[in-house]
Amino acid sequence: MKQIAFLFAFLFVASLFIACEQDDPDVVNEEEVITTLEYTLSADGMEDVVLRFEDLDGDGGNAPTITGGTLAANTGYTGTIVLLNEQEDPAENITEEIEEEDLEHQFFFQTTVDGLSIGYTDKDANGDPLGLSTSIRTSDAGSGTLTVILRHEPDKKADGVSGGDITNAGGETDIEVSFDIDVQ
Amino acid sequence: MFNKIEVKSTLVDRRLNFACPLFLHPVKTSLSIALFFFLLPNPSFSQACQLSISGHVVDESTNEPLHAVNIYLEESEKGAITGDDGFFTLDALCEGHYHVVVSHIGCETQYLHLTIAQDTVLQLTMDHSSHLLDGVVVTGKTDPNSTQNTQVINEQNITDNANQNLSNILETLSGVSSLKNGSSIAKPVVHGLYGNRMTILNNGIAQSGQQWGNDHSPEIDPLVATRIKVIKSVSALEYPGSNLGGVVLVEPKKIAREPHLHGRATYFFESNGLGNGLNLQLQRYQPNFAWKINGTLKKSGDRRAANYYLNNTGSQEANIALQIEKSFSERLSTDFYFSSFNTDLGVMRGSHIGNLTDLETAFTRKVPFFTEEAFSYAIEAPKQRVHHQLLKAHTKYFLSEDAAFDFTFAAQLNARREFDVRRSGRTEIPALSLRQFTYFAEGKYQQKMQQDWQLKTGIQFNMTDNINVPETGILPLIPDYFAYETGAFLLANKKSEKWLLELGGRYDNVLQKVVTFSSDIPRTLLRYTNNFHNYSLSGGLSFQPLPNLSLAYNIGLATRNPAINELYSAGLHQGVSGIEEGSLGLMNERSLKTTFSINGKLAEHWSLESLFFWQRIEDYIFLNPENETRYTIRGAFPVFRYKQTDARLYGLDVMSHLEFSETLSAKLTYSYLRGDDISKQLPLINMPANNFSANLRYLIPKWKRLENLEFQWTNRYVFEQTHLLDEQDYLPPPEAYYLLGLQLASDWQLPSVRLRIFASIDNLLNTAYRDYLNRQRYFADDLGINGKFGLSVKF
Repeated sequence: MKQIAFLFAFLFVASLFIACEQDDPDVVNEEEVITTLEYTLSADGMEDVVLRFEDLDGDGGNAPTITGGTLAANTGYTGTIVLLNEQEDPAENITEEIEEEDLEHQFFFQTTVDGLSIGYTDKDANGDPLGLSTSIRTSDAGSGTLTVILRHEPDKKADGVSGGDITNAGGETDIEVSFDIDVQ
Repeated sequence: MFNKIEVKSTLVDRRLNFACPLFLHPVKTSLSIALFFFLLPNPSFSQACQLSISGHVVDESTNEPLHAVNIYLEESEKGAITGDDGFFTLDALCEGHYHVVVSHIGCETQYLHLTIAQDTVLQLTMDHSSHLLDGVVVTGKTDPNSTQNTQVINEQNITDNANQNLSNILETLSGVSSLKNGSSIAKPVVHGLYGNRMTILNNGIAQSGQQWGNDHSPEIDPLVATRIKVIKSVSALEYPGSNLGGVVLVEPKKIAREPHLHGRATYFFESNGLGNGLNLQLQRYQPNFAWKINGTLKKSGDRRAANYYLNNTGSQEANIALQIEKSFSERLSTDFYFSSFNTDLGVMRGSHIGNLTDLETAFTRKVPFFTEEAFSYAIEAPKQRVHHQLLKAHTKYFLSEDAAFDFTFAAQLNARREFDVRRSGRTEIPALSLRQFTYFAEGKYQQKMQQDWQLKTGIQFNMTDNINVPETGILPLIPDYFAYETGAFLLANKKSEKWLLELGGRYDNVLQKVVTFSSDIPRTLLRYTNNFHNYSLSGGLSFQPLPNLSLAYNIGLATRNPAINELYSAGLHQGVSGIEEGSLGLMNERSLKTTFSINGKLAEHWSLESLFFWQRIEDYIFLNPENETRYTIRGAFPVFRYKQTDARLYGLDVMSHLEFSETLSAKLTYSYLRGDDISKQLPLINMPANNFSANLRYLIPKWKRLENLEFQWTNRYVFEQTHLLDEQDYLPPPEAYYLLGLQLASDWQLPSVRLRIFASIDNLLNTAYRDYLNRQRYFADDLGINGKFGLSVKF
């Protein structure tokens, strides 16, 4: 019985060494995060329309702010996409990462607005579309949504993909945001 | 004149070397060879090469003679086979040292080392109680030391399945299934419970790693084990960890008391994935000191479903284990164990998705995205790279014949890195990188008391240090923490001729110290301290009304504190396309599990093992799909939050063995399980589907130099999981499927080495199927046809 008492005493003492706290972990530098997408639509003689998605705390946390826009009917626009990580100060431009890896990325555009059409005006190193630069054409007045999708590692050679059809693209979605659009 | 010789250093079972009271050994080995023999001195005419070895082999549990047991002397290249009466004789032997190989179909082959100076009579017993099916022995019923329902996989079965991982090997047992992510990532599920609710012990040490992840395999090489056991009832209170679900014990056996250098080399090839593997074991015993080294290398490329390649599903593994045993005296002995497990596991490229739209698109595909008609050994992202090291030191001290102390110290280091497809060269940087240190100390005391009572008590202390390595550039899914567990247990049993009573109790204090990041910007540190108390109580009774029949009842109460991931996980879990959130207010789960088993020989050639279980878990913690979607830049994701409810599980495992003749037998198994959330009247998710298997076996005990030649025809039918509502999953569970297989194995005795040849074909019909518990089912079919060939050399 003495041995048991010794054993329990030993382990009891061992269990007293437990007052430690974890050290402060380094705050993670979320360098790959895209917090902000700006889709700027410009037409001659008109003020730029900026469609903007912003989610500063990344996935989870607070809800993002999404700003839609109003377009003029029967008008041609040029569209430019800028991606930012605004957790950094100054904000980091992620667009450059996409340009550098143009073969592995492609934007897709989907809309429920009648008569709204979007075409690619840029190409990657292989001559396939990328989608950072686009041309947009509105027709009659109407409203709906415009969804911007960025796919990572899509199959650009698959049927319809270079024409902007996402069905056979595959890959992973890095961005999928929808904006409310009014055409007046 | 007879001399009864106490065997030292020559026999397989070490327990004899010490004054070890055969005391609370949970389960016996599947085959033990008797441990004494008689010598007949023949002094006046002792001449060289006139000696004989004869003997008698009986079944340990029935005492009936065992026929067709192969006895082989390596040095003389002579063999004999026992007759119907169980007797054998080998004569015209010279004086000297002999290695004797004793093998019997379905049993593990055993080796003796004898010094022959006189005519020798061996009395051998083998535990061949007709339940050695597929080398799978259900010892629950014959083991008088326990009321626990325990199933065992022996060394031969492990070697014959050298191409499989731990969980896939366990799946051959009824009531055990695997939760998978593809073919190489699998974790065992016992009676519907897994992960945080299950304990896996590697050489007596609770495996410490990231058990919470459904796509995290246990980091153990099954080839280091000589025996793998699954305990299904709640009476394994001796072991730390959760006592709610089953316990898996991976056990390297003690090193054989064999004075020469021995070893085994095993090679296998499998056609699906063009996998190759090599395992080498070397061991030696010198007086009071023994060592064994065990190394494994495995490499496999892309696996193939019935109709297409599963790209990026290769895997590779390099493991080593070292075992050292030293005895200082009859009373004091120490052993050390070190094992290192290292693996790279590819995850099918087409199953890596960005959001819910991608997942829904994947459902519509006949062939997954990224499928190429090209085979490759390359393992690209997404992949997992896992290292696990275990160091253990154990000392046993016998106070007397009837009392002993055990002290154990162990340390583990688990490093898990998971790589995703990322932008700008970050694919080389892990997206998840966790490092976990675990320290464990244990003291145990066991004693034989009066009136056949046996007592075992102990105290355990475990510390876990879990950190996220800050290299990922991604907010961690689970936080950094320290966890301290201090536990004590007391077990007692009383044995009589027909009855066994077991009682046990356990208490654990769990202290968690957690540091995590706030979810809003700027990120701040949040610290939490939690203190939980866990209690377990168990009782069991077994009764053997007839020598061939036993009944066992076991009831256990246990609690489990919420795990770190259930409390604190936060973030997007891309694999399941959902945002998972822990809940701070979770309480302990409280479980009551009861098992009842009937095992025995119902007729001369018909035996049955059956187990019924019922389990109720109050405050069962589960991921509840919340009525909420969260918008992120990747789109909208459903939110899942850890909640508590009351759950009930019940089921039945049945195995029946029919012997049509000496050579032909059949094994039938059936597992039924049902799990419900009884407060919300909903089925539980991730419950294994019911399944049925029927195997027919043809045996030839000896044919030329081949021994124990067996052919097996296997049939497995898995029912559709119909106990699930459509809204509980993205896709309804897959349809029922049927798999056909063939197996062939034989021992081949050559003059000085013994070979074992094993070959099999799985999914012979190349059926395209998907399994409910395999997450890859959302994207692709399961494995197609796979042929395997292997060779094992024992020297």
